[in-house]
Amino acid sequence: MRRALFLFWISIGWPIWATDNSTDGGAVLSFVGYPDAPNFTVKPLKKKIRNCERCHGEMQHNTNIRVLEDAPHIDSLNHGNGRFWCLECHDEVESNKLQTPTGEKVGFADAYLVCGSCHANRQKDWYFGAHGKRVENWDGQRVILGCTNCHEPHEPTLQPYKPKAPPQLRVGLNPSAKKHQLPIIWPWQVINTSEANHE
Amino acid sequence: MNKENNEENLNLSRRKFIGGIGATGAVALSAGAWGGKTLQDALGDLFQDHYQRMTPEEIKEVLARIERKAKSDYGAEIKCENTPPREKVLFGYALNIAKCKGYRDCVHACVKENNHGRDSQTQYIRVLEMPNGTTDLEKSDHYYNHEQVPQDGKYYLPVQCMQCADPPCVKACPVSATWAEPDGIVVVDYDWCIGCRYCMTACPYWARHFNWTTPRIPPEEVNPQTHYLGNRPRPRGVVEKCHFCIQRTRKGLQPACMDACPTGARIFGNLLDPKSEIRYVLENKTVFRLKEELGTDPKFWYFTD
Repeated sequence: MRRALFLFWISIGWPIWATDNSTDGGAVLSFVGYPDAPNFTVKPLKKKIRNCERCHGEMQHNTNIRVLEDAPHIDSLNHGNGRFWCLECHDEVESNKLQTPTGEKVGFADAYLVCGSCHANRQKDWYFGAHGKRVENWDGQRVILGCTNCHEPHEPTLQPYKPKAPPQLRVGLNPSAKKHQLPIIWPWQVINTSEANHE
Repeated sequence: MNKENNEENLNLSRRKFIGGIGATGAVALSAGAWGGKTLQDALGDLFQDHYQRMTPEEIKEVLARIERKAKSDYGAEIKCENTPPREKVLFGYALNIAKCKGYRDCVHACVKENNHGRDSQTQYIRVLEMPNGTTDLEKSDHYYNHEQVPQDGKYYLPVQCMQCADPPCVKACPVSATWAEPDGIVVVDYDWCIGCRYCMTACPYWARHFNWTTPRIPPEEVNPQTHYLGNRPRPRGVVEKCHFCIQRTRKGLQPACMDACPTGARIFGNLLDPKSEIRYVLENKTVFRLKEELGTDPKFWYFTD
């Protein structure tokens, strides 16, 4: 039956689920990708990740959701509308690893496997290039950013910030100059004299 | 005696005359007399043919001349190339308007990459701030200057050249200075453009821009990797536009706007490759094109998740 189900998923182009016998309680289907997705490598994170085991290897685990006072890292989780706690994603035993809901242990570099456990549609788009960001080229080796390159996993919503400068307002092109309080520029005017003086 | 004197004067005059011609020739051949160019370069500019009619040798000479001109005008060493279109490649662009937050990183990356005069008021990309619930471009604002974006109740719609498959700008040009390349990029021969701006009027996307001033760029900011049909320093008084960063994309690199986008809203690739990201977007997302009813067949799609 399970084999038939597996063949069914493959036949309709759904992700590959591999059999994993390492977990207690029988075989668990674990996600290993989409067969049709173009090959890729994930760009390593710029940020250095702490060695969690240095402290958490010795500490007693507390599964109560709370504000972590005096912790050397973030003190609260703004992800999942208050339903999550650290151990939803971080492995309880091996603190330097993450875990999927099916119990697989995953390195920080492969965090997309954990994210995809809940955000499957986004993950599929990411595999095929409709979500996320490819680096440098459109042709050749496909290097893409992992989920945690852009999203802070403990607060995944991208934060707003100040946009770069608007274009100079050419005279006659927009009647709302006063609305934006931008100076009106005539075509023959040099705008930034400090830059223009290099000649 | 008088006859001898006259002959002597004549000889002196002849000598002076020949010397004068030599001096004039030397001045003419020197760099200062032709606006910083040599006579050879000035004549080369004057008799330069249309890009599509030039032989490979002529193009090579033109590229060398452009490099010399950039050195004298900007004090920068540039490399001007003529990378040809790739076979079986047709470029297309898709933009996720749910991801675009209006940061304008693309606009400023474009200015740097494409050697825009820093005071030329020319930007190829216009990020429109739109009220939610409408695609009416008359309600857009691209001069927004908020403390933070995205603003509540707004979405952001970057607009640039759509590289139409049936481009009205090309039809409008009276001197054939603009055309669509085999890889789909609509290009301009800046040396053939007469600056009449008919193409600007014909373009329904406001994607063409007139170069009102001689571009001024600090030498350290000049992008040295240039293409004849792309980001080489342009003269004043010609029309220019987005060319999908032809100097980058024909080498397999992303356009600068896509490279700079912090949210990954931009997706670029080969429309003829069924495995490409852009094909996945077109086949699996709900996409639309701006002013599609005009029938210009743009190769720039918008979509949401």
